[in-house]
Amino acid sequence: MHSISSDNGEVPATKHRGSALTTWLVLMILLGCGCAFVRGNHGEDINQDDVSTIKKGVSSRADVASILGAPDRIITEPNGHDIFHYYHYDLKSGYILFFSRTNIKSDDIFVIFNSAGIVEDVIAGKKKPPLEFQFWPFD
Amino acid sequence: MMIRRLHTCLWAILWLTTLSGCLRGPVAWQRVTLNQPLTAQDVSFVVNGKTSLSEIVEKLGAPNQMLSSNGGVVARYQFTDGKYFRVDFGWGLRFLIPIYSPDLVLGNGGTGIDTFQVTYNDHWVVQDHGFALHSQASEYRLWPTKD
Repeated sequence: MHSISSDNGEVPATKHRGSALTTWLVLMILLGCGCAFVRGNHGEDINQDDVSTIKKGVSSRADVASILGAPDRIITEPNGHDIFHYYHYDLKSGYILFFSRTNIKSDDIFVIFNSAGIVEDVIAGKKKPPLEFQFWPFD
Repeated sequence: MMIRRLHTCLWAILWLTTLSGCLRGPVAWQRVTLNQPLTAQDVSFVVNGKTSLSEIVEKLGAPNQMLSSNGGVVARYQFTDGKYFRVDFGWGLRFLIPIYSPDLVLGNGGTGIDTFQVTYNDHWVVQDHGFALHSQASEYRLWPTKD
């Protein structure tokens, strides 16, 4: 049997080859891996208490702007309605080994004004449940 | 002595590579979703000419988009699904050429959007509604030159 010498004495070549292979295998796996958990958002989170202070038939455009700020979008309708659109995006991303999954949710609020500029309706659903950190991309 | 040094060196490299964090691997499956999908069952309560905007918002939440059209206001609920797959065939070269490891990447993917669209009349009652299902357009694909 061929052998190589070390300071601990004789080591069988096959055993040494096996341990080197294991080390390289671990090295390769580690080089390929890495993990990351990332969170991000776009826009300010909309406070539901602020939304509830907007009164249908009473609040004006200026009132809404002072409560919620300037809208992210304004939609103008042919029949005279204006719609203020406020949105907030939340992102959670997980990355493990070779797999990555990014979940994004949007929370939207629409305030509809009549032709006189008074709030006709506020479209704000229940706040969506918080996102989960996931990394598995196949489900 | 030589073997021990080699082992020390290897373990040092191993340790350093674990600190490298998010080094890209040779393959990657990536998925991005925006919002949750709606099914036909979720919207089965919607009846043209009867269901109002407030009923829909109560059950489905606020839409993601409201658009103005000549036929009335259009509200859209959208679920976006994106899938991407890539292979870096040059990844292994770093073990042969330590200084220079070129990327030889083949990658492909796609994005699809499922949309549930509702059109309201001037009294905010549903005029018509329907699905456009395209989220299946997103796939993990390898070959980028396929037509």
